[in-house]
Amino acid sequence: MTVATTGTPTDPAMGNPGFETGDGGAGGNGSVVAGSGAFADYALDPRFHDEMFGGDGRPREACRRLSEALDRFPAEELIKLQEGVYRRFLHEGITFTVLGADEVSEQIIPIDCVPRVITAAEWDHIESGLKQRLTAINLFLRDIYHEGRSLKDGVVPPDLVLGCPQYRVEMRGVKVPHDVYVAVGGTDIVRTDTGFAVLEDNVRVPSGVSYMLACRAATKRSVPALYREHAVREVAGYPQRLYSTLASLSSSTTRPRVAILTPGRYNSAYYEHAFLAGEMGVDLVEGRDLVVHNATLYARMASGLRRIDVLYRRIDDDFVDPVTFRRDSVLGAPGLFHAYRAGNVVLANAPGTGVADDKAVYAFLPRIIRYFLNEEPILANVDTHLCREPEGLEFTLDNLRDLVVKEVGGSGGYGMLVGPHATGREREEFAARLRDNPTNYISQPVLPLSRAGCFVDGSLQPRHVDLRPFTLHGAEGQDVVPGGLCRVALREGSLVVNSSQGGGCKDLWVLRS
Amino acid sequence: MLARVAADLYWMGRYIERTEHTARLLKYQLTGLVDAPADELALGWQVIYRALGQSPPMAPADVDEAEAFMMADAYTLAGSLVEDHTNPDSMVTCWGMARENATQLRPQLPLEVWTTLNRGFLWIRDCDFPAAWKKRPVTLVAEAVDRLRLLAGVVEATMSRDDVWRFLQLGRFVERFQHQTNLLRTWDRLGAPDGADPSLSWSDLLRVCVAFELYCRRHGMTAERDTVLEFLIRDPEVPRSLRFALERIEHMLVGIDPLGSSHPLVPPRRVALRLAATVEAATGSVTDRERREADDSHVTDHLFEHLAGDGSRLHDLLITEYVDYPVSEGLPS
Repeated sequence: MTVATTGTPTDPAMGNPGFETGDGGAGGNGSVVAGSGAFADYALDPRFHDEMFGGDGRPREACRRLSEALDRFPAEELIKLQEGVYRRFLHEGITFTVLGADEVSEQIIPIDCVPRVITAAEWDHIESGLKQRLTAINLFLRDIYHEGRSLKDGVVPPDLVLGCPQYRVEMRGVKVPHDVYVAVGGTDIVRTDTGFAVLEDNVRVPSGVSYMLACRAATKRSVPALYREHAVREVAGYPQRLYSTLASLSSSTTRPRVAILTPGRYNSAYYEHAFLAGEMGVDLVEGRDLVVHNATLYARMASGLRRIDVLYRRIDDDFVDPVTFRRDSVLGAPGLFHAYRAGNVVLANAPGTGVADDKAVYAFLPRIIRYFLNEEPILANVDTHLCREPEGLEFTLDNLRDLVVKEVGGSGGYGMLVGPHATGREREEFAARLRDNPTNYISQPVLPLSRAGCFVDGSLQPRHVDLRPFTLHGAEGQDVVPGGLCRVALREGSLVVNSSQGGGCKDLWVLRS
Repeated sequence: MLARVAADLYWMGRYIERTEHTARLLKYQLTGLVDAPADELALGWQVIYRALGQSPPMAPADVDEAEAFMMADAYTLAGSLVEDHTNPDSMVTCWGMARENATQLRPQLPLEVWTTLNRGFLWIRDCDFPAAWKKRPVTLVAEAVDRLRLLAGVVEATMSRDDVWRFLQLGRFVERFQHQTNLLRTWDRLGAPDGADPSLSWSDLLRVCVAFELYCRRHGMTAERDTVLEFLIRDPEVPRSLRFALERIEHMLVGIDPLGSSHPLVPPRRVALRLAATVEAATGSVTDRERREADDSHVTDHLFEHLAGDGSRLHDLLITEYVDYPVSEGLPS
C-alpha cells in the first residue's frame, strides 16, 4: 500500500527522479546561470529546483542581491571566508564526536558560508505546516496512551502502534503536564519541483539547533553587509525560547530548576548539549549526577543535593531509567520514571514519543492530521510504501533499484539502502533482509532534492539541501524559530545530507518580507 | 554547582598549573644548554625529573641515577616531558587533560577561556617537536609558557568570581603548593646541598620560580640558601611561595563554603589552616644552621615531608567534601 498524501512532491513525469548519476557538471540538459564571476561554472539541471536561480538561469528575486554580490566576490576572498569560518569552528570547538572502532575523534561539521534564502511567504507556509503537524502529533500521542480512539477508528492500524518498539506501555495512563508529549520537535523538510514536503519527523531527541546558531554567527561575521541588507529574521533567541518552553511545563510556583541530561562527552551531539546548557544558564547533568529520593529528582551539587523540576533529556527512552527501561543503562537515573509518574519532574520530551516518528507511522500523519484537527495537511508527506503490507513489500522488491528503503526506527542515514547507488549485490542482500523482516522497513522514491549554491573547490556549485526547522511546544502554545538547520550533501551528486555521512550545513535566511 | 563540575574545574586548574610548571622548569634547563657545563646540565635534568616525580632514564643496572642522567641526551629527556603521549605528566598529556575537563565545562566557561585553551592544545598537539628542537630547543617551551600565561590572563579577565572561579583556582593553587614543595625540597637536597660539586645556584631557583627580581629588590643580589628558601616559603607577595598558594587556597575555601569557615570547620579548611600554621612556623627549622647541622634527620627535609603529606591530604579531603560525599549527607534538611 502506498499511503495517500496531499500532493506528492515527486513528479511522475520524471521517471526516476533525483538519481545521482548525471547530476552535476555543466553538460547534459543543464544550462549555466547568468553569472560571469564566481558563478561562471554553476550548472543548472532541469530535474532539480534551484534555490537561487530560476529555470532561465536568472536569479530569483529574493536572491538577486545575494547572487550578484557573490558573483562579484573574487575567488580568493571566498576562499578566505571559508577558511575563516573553518578556523573559528576549530578554535571554538564546534564539533561532533565520531566513535570509531578504536578511537574517538572530534570532527568539525563542514560549514558552507553561502546562505540559503527563504522568502517570508514560503516561511509562513512552512511555519503553519509545522505547527499543525506538531499539534496533531501531540494529540495523537495523548490518544494512544489513553483512550486510543484513533486506533479504534482505524486511523492508524493498532498493531502498527502497539507493536512499535518505541511504544512505551509504561506511559499508558500517565498524566503528562499540559498534554505536551513533544516539547521540542525537529522536522526534516525537502523541496522538490512541486513544493515543500516533510521527509521525517524527529520527536524524540532532535539535534542540530546549535549548528543553526553557529551557521548564523558565521555568516554574520563573514558577510555582515549582505546580512544587514537582506533583513533576515533573527534566530539568536532560540535558547531563551527553549528555556521558556521547558519552564512553562513545570507546576513549580517558584522559578523552576531546569537541567539538560546528556549521555556525556562522547555523544555525537555533546557540543550542542553543552552549548544549550551554557546559553540557558542551566546545569548539564549526566546520569551519575542524578539521585531519586522519595520520588523526587535531585542533582548532586557541590553543596549537597538540589531538586530538579524539568529535565530536558537528550538520551533515548531506553536509557532514561534502568529500573523501568534498559537495566544496563548507566546514562539515566534509577527511579527517574517513578518521579516522573508521580508528577515531581517534567521530562521533555516525554517517554514514548518515538512512536510518532516511526517511519511507518509517518505514512499515516496526513490521516492523523485530518482525524484530530479536521484540516487538510499543509505540508505534504512523501509517498511511502509499507513493507509490512504484502503489496508494499512486493512493490519495493520489484523496484528496489529505484527506491530508498529505510528502517522504520532508523536515523542518521544509517540502515538504509539508496537503490540507484547500491550495487547489485547490496540490493540482493537488502532484499533478503526485507523478506526476513518486512515490518522493519518502508520505501520511498528517490527525491529530487532542491539544490543551493555552495562554495566548493574555489567556485560556487550547486549541491542538494534539506532543511530542519525546530518547533517548540510549551504550556502556552507553539513557537517556531524562523530558521533551521540547512543540511547540505557536499559530495557532488550525493543526496545524503547527514553529517555522519559526509554532509555539511549552511545558514538559512528567512526574509522579513 | 554540580559536584562533578566542581571536580572538573578543580582538575582543570591542576592540569593547567602542572603544564605551566613543567614548561617553566624546561625553559630554564633548555636555556642552559647553550653554555652550562655537562655535569651541571645532568644535575639540572636530575633535579627536574625528581621534582616532577618522573622516573630517571633507562640505564644499565650498575649505573647510578646521576650517571644515568649524564648518559641520557637532552633531546630525549625534554621530549619525554613535552610531547610524549604515553607519559601521563608530559605537557601535551596534561594540556589535553585540561582541555578534556574544559570540554565538560563548556556551559560554565567563557568562550574566550575555552578558545584560548583549545588553541593552545591544538598548537602543542600539532607542533613538530624535532623540527622545533633543531631550530632552537628552548623556543617551543618558551612559547608554551607564553600561551599558558595568555590563558591565565584570559581567565583572570573574563571569569566571574563565583564558585566556578573558586574551584578552578583551588585546583591551581593546590597543584602549585604541592609542586613548589617538591621543587624546593629537591633543590635543597639534590640540586644545591652545602659544598656539593656540581651544584645548582640558588639564584637559578629564583629564576625558575619567576621571583629573582623581587628577591633582588628585597634582599640584594646575593642569593643564599636560607634567605632564598625562607623567601620562597614564607613571602606572601611571591606568587610561587608556599604561603601565597596557601592564602589563595584558604580564600577560595571560605568563598565556596562560608559556613564551613566558622566552627565546626570543614575538614579541608582544617588542614589548610594547619598547613598555614606550619609554614608560618617554618623559619627556624629551615634557616637555623646549627640546628640543621646538629640534627642528622635533617630538619628541613622533615618540614617538606610534612608539608607534602598535608598537601596530599588536603586534596583527598576536598574531593570527599565536595565531590564524593555520601548521598545521605547531601539531602536537603
